[in-house]
This record gives sequence, C-alpha cells and structure tokens, in this order.
Amino acid sequence: MHSYYSFVTGPLAWIAFIVFICGSIWRFNSLWQLTKKKDSAVFEYMDRKFALRSIAHWLIPFGSRSMQLNPAMTVATFLFHICLFITPIFVFGHVMLWKENFNISWFALPNMAADVMTFIVIGSCIFFLWRRIKLPHVKYLTTPLDFIILMIVAAPFMTGFWAYHQFPGFVSMTIIHIVSGEIMLMAIPFTKLFHMFLFPFTRGYIGSEFGGVRMAKDW
Amino acid sequence: MNRFINSVMNMNISGITLTAIILTLTFAITTHADDCFTVNGETIDANSNTRPFVCFQHDAHNEKAGLESCDRCHHSYDDQGKLIEGESSEDKSCSECHAGNVGSQKSFDSNRLNIDLAAKYHKLCRDCHITEKKGPVVCGECHKR
Amino acid sequence: MSESKTVNDNKKTESKKIEDQGIQKGIEQLTPERIESVIRQVINDETGARLKVYVDTCLHCGLCSKGCHFFLSLKDPKFSPAAKVKQTLWEIMRKKGKVSPEFIKEAALIAYTQCNMCKRCAMYCPFGLDVAYVMSVMRRICYKLGVVPLYIQDTAHSHSVAMNQMWVKDDEWIDTLMWQEEEAQDAMENLRIPLDKEGADIFYSVIGPEPKFRAQLIFQAAVIMNAAKENWTMPSMPGWDNSDMCMFTGDYEMMERLKRLHFESALNLRAKRIVMGECGHAFRSVYDVGNRALGWRMPPIEVVHSIEYFNELFEQKKIKIRKKFERPVTLHDPCNIVRGRGLHEMARNIVNATCANFIEMTPNREHNYCCSAGGGVINCGPPFKNARVESGKEKAKQLFAAKAKGAEVVIAPCHNCHGGLEDIIHHYGVEMELKFFGDIIYEILELPE
Ligand code: SF4
Ligand code: SF4
Ligand code: SF4
Repeated sequence: MHSYYSFVTGPLAWIAFIVFICGSIWRFNSLWQLTKKKDSAVFEYMDRKFALRSIAHWLIPFGSRSMQLNPAMTVATFLFHICLFITPIFVFGHVMLWKENFNISWFALPNMAADVMTFIVIGSCIFFLWRRIKLPHVKYLTTPLDFIILMIVAAPFMTGFWAYHQFPGFVSMTIIHIVSGEIMLMAIPFTKLFHMFLFPFTRGYIGSEFGGVRMAKDW
Repeated sequence: MNRFINSVMNMNISGITLTAIILTLTFAITTHADDCFTVNGETIDANSNTRPFVCFQHDAHNEKAGLESCDRCHHSYDDQGKLIEGESSEDKSCSECHAGNVGSQKSFDSNRLNIDLAAKYHKLCRDCHITEKKGPVVCGECHKR
Repeated sequence: MSESKTVNDNKKTESKKIEDQGIQKGIEQLTPERIESVIRQVINDETGARLKVYVDTCLHCGLCSKGCHFFLSLKDPKFSPAAKVKQTLWEIMRKKGKVSPEFIKEAALIAYTQCNMCKRCAMYCPFGLDVAYVMSVMRRICYKLGVVPLYIQDTAHSHSVAMNQMWVKDDEWIDTLMWQEEEAQDAMENLRIPLDKEGADIFYSVIGPEPKFRAQLIFQAAVIMNAAKENWTMPSMPGWDNSDMCMFTGDYEMMERLKRLHFESALNLRAKRIVMGECGHAFRSVYDVGNRALGWRMPPIEVVHSIEYFNELFEQKKIKIRKKFERPVTLHDPCNIVRGRGLHEMARNIVNATCANFIEMTPNREHNYCCSAGGGVINCGPPFKNARVESGKEKAKQLFAAKAKGAEVVIAPCHNCHGGLEDIIHHYGVEMELKFFGDIIYEILELPE
C-alpha cells in the first residue's frame, strides 16, 4: 500500500503532468506547423474580432440556436464543463496537496459544494452515456473509444466521491482515484479530450470566415 | 489544557463562536477517548471545508511505532534551519514556529496560516509513514468519519 | 392538406439502389493500389491541419444533426453531417487510404448527392466543424479516381470544352443575346445589350443554363439595366458564364481556368465591377472558392450578386415601380448568398420595396433550410431526383407553413434553388409559384418614356 501510494503520488504524478503539458504542447505545435505549411489561408482569414464574437456566442449558455434546440444538452454540457474544471482545482483536499508540495494555496470549496459539483459531473456523464445509447443519431456516431473517454472523465469523480465519503475500501479507492486523475491528464493530448484546446481555434476560424467573408452569423 | 485556553483567548472575535462549538465537541471526544490528542483544537479554525478531526492517540502510537525519543516528531531547528539532533521541542506548540501568532492575525490570514499548519502536520505524519512503510497515508485513514 | 402526404412519404432513401453510370464505370476501373495512392496524394499534398482537426476533433455528439435538412427530412442517423464524415474520410483516414472500390462508391454517393455543401451544419456544431469542407475533400478524391456521377461530369466536360456549363457554342451565345435584345425591344424601344463595351460600370455575367433554358431572364435584366440607365456590358466571348460545376465535381484545375477566364473577361474590358445574375453557386465559385484557388484572398474585381445590385437600385432610386406586387410572397434564402455573403437583409429590403404582402418562412436568414438541390446535387441528374426530393421534405414543410399563412409565390433568387424548389413543390403538391426577383421587378417596373 505504501509503495503504491508513494509511486502514484510521486513519479507517476510527475509523469502525468509532464505528459499532459509536453504532450499538449507537442500536439498543438504540430498542428500549428501543419497549418502554417498546408493551410496558411487559415491565418489569412482569421480575424480577431469575428473569432471572439463567435466564441463568445458559443460560450454563453443558449447563445446559439443549436443550444436552444437542445436545451437538456446545453444545461448538461455547461454545468458539466464548469464543474469538471472547478472541482479538481478548488476541492479542499487538492488545495491542501498543492500547499504541502509546492507551498502555494488558493480558495477552497466548501465540502458541500464539492459534493454537489461532483454529482453534477457524474450526472452529466450518465446523461451523455444515455445519449450515446438511446439517441439513434448519436449512437450511430459512437465508437467504443467514446465510452472509454467518458469513463476516463467520470472515474476520478466517482472514485473521489467514494474516497471522500469513506465508503468500504476507500483506502484502495483513494489510490485508484489518484491514478484515474493521472490517466485523465495523460489522455488529454492524445484523445478527443484535446478539444478543450482546439475549441477557440476551430470556432474562431469558422467565426472569422462567417463574419469576415460571408458576413453572416454563425450561431 | 492551558494551551487550549490560551488559544481560545487569543482568537479573533469573528471565529470565536464557531471555534467554541468545535472546541466543545473536540473536548468531548478528547475526554471520552483517553489519551486522544486533536491537533485541530490548537489553532485550526473549523470551516466548511475542514475534514473530520483527527484523534491522535499519542502514547499508543509511540508504543506501536517503537518511538523512544520525542524529537522524531517534536523536532528543533537552529537559526540556519538545520535540524538539531537530539534536541526536542515538546514544550512548544507547533504553531509557535509553523504558524506564527494566530491570535493577532486577521481572519483571512489566519485561514492561510491554518492551511500552513495543516500542511505541516500532514507532511510530518505521512512522510514518516511512507518512509517506514507503516501507518495511515490516505486522507480518510486519519480523518475518520 | 398535403401535409399528411409529406409525412406518409417517409421512405428511407436507399442510396444503394441508385445506379449511376459515371460512378459505376469509375469504380470498375479502380484497384486498391490506385485508391490508396490517390488518397495519399490528396490528403498529404492538398489538405493539412484543417481536415485533420475537423476529423479528429469531432466529438460524435450529434449536435450537428439538427443543422442538416437531410437528417431532418429523412430522420435517418446516416444523414447527419458527422455521419457523412464517418462514412467517408473518418474511415479513410483510419485505414490510411486502404479502402475498397465499393467503399469509394458509397463515399461518392454520399459526397456528391447527400450533401449540398450548404454549411448550415457549421452553425450547429459547437466547434464549427465544416462538414462541407470535408465533403469537398471527398469529392476531390472521387474526382481524381474518376468516380463522378455521370450528369454532373457531363456539365464539367462542357465547361472544359466550351467554357460554359451547357455546351453553348460561341455563335449560339451571340445569337441568344441578339434574340433577347429583340424581345426586350418590345418593352423598350431602342434597347441594346452592349457587347464588349470597354470601361463599363457593370460587367453582367450569367450562368450557362440562362441562355439555354431561362433566356427570358436575360431580357428582363437588359430591361432593368436600361431602365436604370446603367453603363453596362456583356461579353461576346467565352467568359460570360460565371457558373462552375467543376468546383462541385472536385476538378479544381478546371475551376481555376474557368474563374480566371471570367475575371479576365471583365478585367480586359476594364469594367468597374461584375454584377451576376441570380445564382447562388456561381456566386460562391467567384466570391469564395475560385478566387482562393487562384490565390486571391478576395476577388480581383468587385463581384456583386443581383440581390445586392437590385437593393442598390432601390436605395438610390434608380428605378421606379408602377405598383407593388400584390400576391402574397414568401422568400427562400439561398445558402450560397446568405451563409455565403449575408445578403438576407438586402433581400428583405427588395421584398419590402416591391411586394405588398410578405410572409416569412421559419427558420430563415442564416438558418434557412437548403432546397436540397445545391452543391451540385441537382446536377447529378435524374438517377438521384427522387432521393433529392425526399431530402427536401423539411423544406416542403416550411413551404406548406408559409402557404398556410397565405403565401402564394415563393421568391428564390438562385437558379439551383429554383430547380430544387420546383421539384419539391411538384412532388409534395405544394402548389406555389416560383419567381426570381428579376421576374417580379420586371413585372412591376415603370418603364421610362
Ligand atoms: S447538406 Fe449542408 S448541413 Fe447537411 S452536411 Fe452538407 S453542408 Fe452540412
Ligand atoms: S456537432 Fe460537431 S462535434 Fe458534434 S458530431 Fe457534429 S461535427 Fe462532430
Ligand atoms: S441551391 Fe439554393 S438552397 Fe440549395 S445550396 Fe444552393 S443556394 Fe442553397
């Protein structure tokens, strides 16, 4: 137990962060270089004003017609993404770990809030799963990898909840929690989870095209 | 006991009611399970994100761990920050070195200091448990519900 | 009334049953090696990060489905935008080009006949992934493999032989113009269609099918130009056709020749700007795709679609009308000039200036549904007509709804849309009349003495 713990909180944690940061930089850079080499027109049509206009409309809940047509999905995605980012950064246990290891600290979430947000993440994952299984047009697009990614994202929250509430076996669950978080970090650069970094660019580009060339809205 | 009262006296008014409640509770547990130290009682201000208080059974722990000397935990450092071998500090409270004078701080700062102190406790216990490959390491093993 | 008919009509479109000679002959000549090498060439040399990001970033969330009238009409998950990517480039990239001729056949059917390249889905995907672009890459691959539907390939052949879409010979073109000039003189004595006039304010270009099938549009335009006392001209030589089926088959080399010739015709005559007839895809080829292929960020000479031009005529009071068009109208927003140029408000200005009763279809403007004929789909010809009309069911519903509110006439300022809507109106029994803006303006125009 002790050696597992020291491995997952020591070397593996470092590996996870390094893979996440370097992998993301690498992937981003290779796409950037490829764009410069093969799609340089993209830079030609990119327009800060229109890009930001489009991004803003798509970051405001119900800011696009697409979101209005899919209200349940809109509510679920927004809550999901907000909680997905806020919870791990501000949950008290994690703030403590940053303090212990790097002597930096910031605001921490009340326990109750962390619990609610964890529920939201797990709940939205179940909703996404339901969409993948039940809605024919989503099912048709779904690949096994999509389920795995959903699991990768949900796992740290489920295990974290388990560990925090000290349900049976919580000691091993804490270790699994740490590992699952590390898996998620490492998966970001190499899976569709990378969309978090690409969103501003794909949205920004189509926003620039629509705004600058086509003189039309794209939301 | 003196220490407890001291720290209560020094508390800033804003936290005092809450602390009083917590202290009463802690005190109840402390007296109930014999030889149970709650490090929280000293300077850690309870708030909505604290974990359950830890009951540290001082004598039982030392017996089990086979600890003879006190300075393994109650360590002392010189002005250069070097560990003074063999000198123990059990006559001082941890916060004297690690958290400064809590009572004179504003509440926001005191919250930060609490985190400082908690981090120190965590490291002290856990680092040793990891080296010795014995004893609790994950959160819930100490912060029992 | 026929609402029920449209609903009962909900047969699944079986693309497999459709046999197209062009595609069939094409795949018979394919070998796996050839497929792989062409795919590699297109993907490695002609595309880059955009394609990669569009294919890799897609989260398979299905939100684009509600953007596509194919999906909305057919309710078949295979027709959602992302599903079209799944059945084409997604597989191709996963298998690194190792796909069978059968696969290419299906992919060609999808890319050429199940996507109108209308770009509506890019407005519904949270990431703005442009499925129309992915489909254009698929078409490029198919074109290079020689797997192109017969009818549209014929128009592309015509483009490369005659430099126009409809095999119009050079003398036939001039004949047509002279004939239309005579027709127009019935309305306005001394009217001329000035040919090859240097330094004109307006270089007027049309699409190949106009002289062939809708020649009255030319004399109507001539009457409007003359009524507005414009200094205008039309070219007597190839370069008069602004349409471009090569853009839709994936024959970009030919598209570049066509666009260059068109631009040069206008530039050689030192015209101030190009005004184009009411066509959506031609505008796209000149304003968006063709100029870029030739290396111009924006067209080398200003190009103005008829809507923009008519709007200008009314704003500057260059023409007068006798009375407003009485019958209630509705307006179809053609994708290529709405999502392609934002002309929807101008179109409404014209409607308000010319028509007494206007009924909106919903959704409208940028969100309007395509007529399901665009992107070269109607040009793929009779084998695909039924499937195409079925994918227009959502459009038919829109038309019925407008009709229920009293609309009798549909204004569709795009040739393709006209063709598509005509078939939809006929098939679903909508019983509405189709008109161009040119038709309406001509009808109510006050002719100067
Ligand atoms: S038809 Fe239009 S909405 Fe449908 S996939 Fe093609 S571009 Fe997208
Ligand atoms: S909406 Fe965009 S990300 Fe979602 S399935 Fe469609 S193309 Fe993919
Ligand atoms: S034919 Fe008309 S409606 Fe259809 S894609 Fe073209 S412009 Fe759009």
